[in-house]
Amino acid sequence: MLRGSLAIWQRDMLILRRSIVSELMAVVAYPLTIYLAFGIGMQGYIGLVDGAPYSLFIAPGLITMTAVNAAYNESVWSLWFHRRVQFTIESYRVTPISVSEIVIAKIFTGFTHGIIKGCAVGLVLFAITPFRFPIEHLLQYLLFLIPGSALFSCAGIISGTIMDKPETIGKVEAVLVMPLIFMSGLFFPLSSYPSAVIPWVRALPTTALFEGARRALVAGEMMSMSVLQVSLSALITFVAAVVIFRYKMSE
Amino acid sequence: MGCSDMPVPSIIINSLTKSYGGLTALDSFSLEVEQGAIFGLLGPNGAGKTTLIRILTTLMRQSAGDASIEGLDILRSGRDIRRMIGVVSQENSLDRYLTARENLELHARLHGMEKQLYKSRIDNLLELMGLAGRQLDFPDTFSGGMQRRLVIARALVHQPQVLFLDEPTTGLDPQSRRAVWEYVRSLAGSMTIFLTTHYLEEAEQLCDRIAIMDHGRLIALGSTQELKERLSGATVYEIEFSGQDIDRYVVLLGSMPCVIDIKQAGSKVTLTLECWECLSEIVTSLNGAPVRRISLLERTLEDVFISLTGEKVRE
Ligand SMILES: Nc1ncnc2c1ncn2[C@@H]1O[C@H](COP(=O)(O)OP(=O)(O)OP(=O)(O)O)[C@@H](O)[C@H]1O
Ligand SMILES: [Mg+2]
Repeated sequence: MLRGSLAIWQRDMLILRRSIVSELMAVVAYPLTIYLAFGIGMQGYIGLVDGAPYSLFIAPGLITMTAVNAAYNESVWSLWFHRRVQFTIESYRVTPISVSEIVIAKIFTGFTHGIIKGCAVGLVLFAITPFRFPIEHLLQYLLFLIPGSALFSCAGIISGTIMDKPETIGKVEAVLVMPLIFMSGLFFPLSSYPSAVIPWVRALPTTALFEGARRALVAGEMMSMSVLQVSLSALITFVAAVVIFRYKMSE
Repeated sequence: MGCSDMPVPSIIINSLTKSYGGLTALDSFSLEVEQGAIFGLLGPNGAGKTTLIRILTTLMRQSAGDASIEGLDILRSGRDIRRMIGVVSQENSLDRYLTARENLELHARLHGMEKQLYKSRIDNLLELMGLAGRQLDFPDTFSGGMQRRLVIARALVHQPQVLFLDEPTTGLDPQSRRAVWEYVRSLAGSMTIFLTTHYLEEAEQLCDRIAIMDHGRLIALGSTQELKERLSGATVYEIEFSGQDIDRYVVLLGSMPCVIDIKQAGSKVTLTLECWECLSEIVTSLNGAPVRRISLLERTLEDVFISLTGEKVRE
């Protein structure tokens, strides 16, 4: 049944392979800059956060942020472009594959971008900064990174499906996606929030993702409730993405 | 195929209606297209041609009515229909990040074709469309005509039984247009071809049968010859004046009841008359006018179109 998905996903991977160097350079530059500016530059002023040097505190978040951002961006822009600019989606739709196969392919493409780019940033941080983590923590970390990238890829698909104008996509990213990422304990511990707000912030899947991913990578801690929360959110968003895309295509 | 002599319809459209909110883009539209025919759908901008093609190719659902392709209902058998149709949409939907060949290969894979099958098929098509030498280039580097040929090749990879072409030559220069016509003509008989166009010449050159539609309705159907004969009552004359003050005569002629339509271009005035007998009235009323010549014009499909839709075909 997923033969069509595979063909489209492979097409997307071919395009990614062709531009991998420039894609990775672009995607690594941003988190690396943040790492150097805040992690190194501000380290002396900030001291220890949650018992760790600031650079160590933010590094896992930067990797996670890169992955989910890449997944979201790839999905939203690719879907918009192929739907509204290049009409490729339409050329897929006149073949015997189903609409679900198309959207599943696109979700996997966004997801793959997220994982590849997240890993690339991790490797670069590992190679050129003092940031280290025990390698056996990687497995726990992936338990967050995988559903996290899937969640953001699906969210990107939903945005790219319902938004027809590129400027709307840009606005949603600025108003919703970036704040969600930044406020989820990426740059500061959740304990910095006023206590009345903390339960609300905790309820966000992004908080479970960033918080859980950091603890998994740095301390090898396994927060199974957080894994469950992120995975469940990813699943719900996946179903929503497929349903919304199918609905849009039947209009 | 049936064993009777009656041609089997490949496409049957039955009271198809499509509304976009308050706008009825397709209004109880019915039509049959024979197997193996090249069928042309003519209509001005916004007539509903693309809407009809989108419904027939299962990209969009109708609001009412039904249609079938090769005996399969468009709502119930979407996937099976898509297996046997080829579609060239009005917009260029080529993947500009894939080479010409990769565009065709992806399409073949989406049709579930095996590599050994599509490889030779694609070789042949690229050859046929005159693109073999450019197969490793990206479509962005192609001329408009080459891109259109590539889209047509893509629609043919899986050897469809019915080919839909939505304005296949719009925006092409006359030479590229002729090239596309030639390719389309070479397919005649091997599949049913349903094309829409703004160009009367295209319909006249390519199509066995023509339908004219406007405001979502079918307003005429037949061969080019049959459609021209529809105008049998009316005749068109061209009057060439030699002097000044033509406007006065245009007003005078325009006010005569037997004159259906009048147009002036420089010293020439084109008159559409109800019947040829009206000519004597015209000659009488032009008594003393500086007329150089009066000639009978051969009616074109354009005249048919104007008389049916009340407007010129916009190109
Ligand atoms: N998605 C849509 N939403 C609302 N109205 C639409 C939509 N698509 C088409 N229409 C309207 O339906 C009518 C028919 O449009 P359609 O595109 O089918 O015409 P067409 O004959 O293909 O025109 P053209 O020759 O310009 O391609 C037009 O009035 C158009 O504005
Ligand atoms: Mg159209």
